[in-house]
Amino acid sequence: MAGKSLVITSGKGGVGKTTTVANIGTALAMMQHKVCLIDADIGLRNLDVIMGLENRIVYDIVDVVEENCRLEQALIRDKRHKNLFLLPAAQTRDKTAVQPKQMENLVKDLKKEVDYIIIDSPAGIEQGFKNAIAGADFALIVTTPEVSAVRDADRIIGLLEAEGIKDPEVIINRINPDMVKRGDMMTIEDIIEILAVKLKGIVPEDDIIIVSSNRGEPVVLKDNPKAGRAFKNIARRITGEEVNFISLEDSSFFSKIKKIFNFS
Amino acid sequence: MKSPITFQVAKNGIVLSLDADAKFNNIKEALKDHVDTATNFYAGSDLYINIANSSFKIDQLNEIVNIARGYKDVNNIIFTSDVVEENIIEVIDEGENNLIKRTLRSGQKIKKSGNVIIIGDINPGAEVVAGGDIIVFGKIRGVVHAGAGGSSEASVIALKLEPTQLRISKKIARPPEEDSNIKRLNPERAFIQDGKIVVEDFEI
Repeated sequence: MAGKSLVITSGKGGVGKTTTVANIGTALAMMQHKVCLIDADIGLRNLDVIMGLENRIVYDIVDVVEENCRLEQALIRDKRHKNLFLLPAAQTRDKTAVQPKQMENLVKDLKKEVDYIIIDSPAGIEQGFKNAIAGADFALIVTTPEVSAVRDADRIIGLLEAEGIKDPEVIINRINPDMVKRGDMMTIEDIIEILAVKLKGIVPEDDIIIVSSNRGEPVVLKDNPKAGRAFKNIARRITGEEVNFISLEDSSFFSKIKKIFNFS
Repeated sequence: MKSPITFQVAKNGIVLSLDADAKFNNIKEALKDHVDTATNFYAGSDLYINIANSSFKIDQLNEIVNIARGYKDVNNIIFTSDVVEENIIEVIDEGENNLIKRTLRSGQKIKKSGNVIIIGDINPGAEVVAGGDIIVFGKIRGVVHAGAGGSSEASVIALKLEPTQLRISKKIARPPEEDSNIKRLNPERAFIQDGKIVVEDFEI
């Protein structure tokens, strides 16, 4: 059976795309799926660092498309899960080193080997973004509860629709329940109202993310009750499971979300 | 008093016409005012300065260009003495209605010479420019410009009117700075009255 390809994108930088890719990928691998992560952020690669695999890179995505090596040679096996692979970006090149058509072929080849391909898109809407979405069947958009991030997410949804990637879904990252409660932060309701797309997950703000990124250990590896659990739930939803949205401590907040999205 | 400068939408940009009979100082002042109040008026388009039927000294032309440079993101500043009709899009065409059945997202722009009817929202960062009216069965949160060719009869109607900026003909309005807390839809109509953009509840 052919695998599914999924791009994680956002428009705005620093909203947590790479962290999301690392965690969802790891969570899917923990559920015994065969997964390959592609870092499409050529020139500014990070995914390998967050996965703790930086020192294992020999070949990268540019070597593959330029046929300096075979695809299998460039894939790095994760040190914790043998069914999880990373295709790293090149650090010494730029976005023009890969063309959308090459990306498409690459993803096509990988689909024969794995269940899920997760592509980490660079920020922006230029060639790097176009490369990242070229081979994707679906898109997940990461945003934070900030007006600028939501604005960029809206722009990205428009561009994805123009490229024929229909019905993207959104992950709202770094929500702070206390601030929402005080009325100091955009609510999930506000964000979904503007973007008018389906909600795929809500990830609460969690200091542990910074620690885990620095250590190269995705937070889903530990039994983390906040961000870790949220990412695991998103992974389960990607496999088609119905998972309720987690309570963000405040019960009234939770019931409000349930009301909006009609989850029972 | 008639303004010594007028604007018209042309195919590739906007034509700025200077009144040949007006005093040069008045033209300068009017243009300065417009640059200050409508800095983004020419963003992304060409600025044609129509000098037909008038005689300016080279220094005066320089002064005008220097003031016009105050507009943000102008593509080109071009002098023209063409009679403008040729370039102008027929601005009000009663028969031309453009129906758009989708939400306009950030970065998307619609520019039509007739009326524009949208079933969906205009999100922040999206822009609609129409020679005639703009009617939105949804929320306006982006920038809308009705009567872009100079028609001050044009109006904007929406189920919820919260534009970043609203322009009718040559008038520009911003919504009040404080957040509106009204979540429900509230059909409103914006139009020009006594030289000002006014907004009132739209009653059917």
